Amino acid sequence: MNIIETQNLTKTYGDFTAVSHLNLHIRKGSVYGFLGPNGAGKSTTMKMFLGLTKPTDGSFHIDKKTYPSDRVSILKEVGSFIEAPAFYGNLTGEENLQIIQKILGLPKSCVDDALELVGLTEFRKRLAKKYSLGMKQRLGLAGALIGRPPILILDEPTNGLDPVGIHEIRTLIRSLPQKYDCTVLVSSHLLPEVELMADDIGILNHGHLLFEGTMDDLKRSARAAGFPTDNLEDTFLAMIDEDNQRRGGAA
Amino acid sequence: MSLLIESQKLKRTGYLPAFLAGGFLAAAFPVVYMMVKAKELTLASGKPIAVLMSANWQMMAMLNILISICGACTMYHTEYADNGTQKMSVLPIRQGNLFFSKFVIAALVLSVMVVTEMAVLAGCAEYWFPSYVFDLTEILKTAGFQIVVTLPTVMLMLVIASACKNMWVSLGIGVILVFTFSIFPQDNAVLGLFPFASPYQVLSTAVENSRTALYVIACGIETALFGIAEVIYLKVRRCYE
Repeated sequence: MNIIETQNLTKTYGDFTAVSHLNLHIRKGSVYGFLGPNGAGKSTTMKMFLGLTKPTDGSFHIDKKTYPSDRVSILKEVGSFIEAPAFYGNLTGEENLQIIQKILGLPKSCVDDALELVGLTEFRKRLAKKYSLGMKQRLGLAGALIGRPPILILDEPTNGLDPVGIHEIRTLIRSLPQKYDCTVLVSSHLLPEVELMADDIGILNHGHLLFEGTMDDLKRSARAAGFPTDNLEDTFLAMIDEDNQRRGGAA
Repeated sequence: MSLLIESQKLKRTGYLPAFLAGGFLAAAFPVVYMMVKAKELTLASGKPIAVLMSANWQMMAMLNILISICGACTMYHTEYADNGTQKMSVLPIRQGNLFFSKFVIAALVLSVMVVTEMAVLAGCAEYWFPSYVFDLTEILKTAGFQIVVTLPTVMLMLVIASACKNMWVSLGIGVILVFTFSIFPQDNAVLGLFPFASPYQVLSTAVENSRTALYVIACGIETALFGIAEVIYLKVRRCYE
């Protein structure tokens, strides 16, 4: 069963099409890796799911709810982290999470739980503006994970983290569907990371979906098209290159 | 609940200390003025509060407006500096509610300032005008009127601050508007209704010219209209982001 589905989802800015007739199918309880080069339309798609930007055309359903009529109801079920950590620098890490906890109507213990989950308990009383980049990233993740929402939308969640942090976050994301019956849509430039944590992947280029399916499906389809299949990175690069050439752009 | 959240966001921003300091400065102005000009003012005709208001209110109102501008800029700088506003946008809370909570806080703080200023004016009247008889209703009516005529300015400034990600832009717009509207003739009924100009209106003069109801109704409508404009702006902004 698909928890997120899009039907010809399109977003244009003037004469630039950021996302074009996108049809995504994200299975409930899966980790969906959303891949694409910079400017492919990943963040725009995620922003549309969160109501941060309005689709120009098409529609989407999240847990059978539609945008814009069920926007608030959708947001109650979705934890998100978009592009860069968003927080109030004048508040401590704990106070930032308390604001989210109050808005979501969660018990106070959820704040401790979220801080623990991302390893920020020790720094809870420090002002968020004094956090390192990695700590800000963790705070952003804690804000997404608080209350353990059934759907998580994470845009580049491992940016700015050290290798240990990346490993921890990957393990955490991988464990979420089983532990909390959670569905995760995650975008990342770190292809080996996605390869290790995603059940399904979607590859986006110039706003168009080039591929959607499981890792095995990708290998099969790549083999059929004559692309390398040794690892996700090689396959991804070959697919993007071929698509760029077909469009007449530079590889 | 959003009021509580908005208050929490203002922690360590210097918002309340700024209002306290500004309120103190505005309230101190008539005291200093009376210390210098007591003789002239005590000889002036009219009710003591009306005399004190006409002598001091221009400066006090300007300070109130400037502090309200700084307050609005501080509120939205906190939202934009570390992208906190984006986090709020992806939480199940209406953006309009957050805006109106900010307005309620700004209006409350302004009310505290104006009431304090009125109390100081009453104190000045008591001290320097032997004929003065303390009248709480008069003080409250004057404070209420001055608050109502300042609300459109507070609301418009919040709308401007919400639209500008760079605090210096909204601060600049606010300061330009203050000085532009302060040169408008205050006795003109139409020009006196504009935000940034209406806070200079004084209750005693409005009563004299039978314009009290006009100012109260017009300022109420302006405040509501700016609020509606913000709600529309928040919806439209989503289409272009």
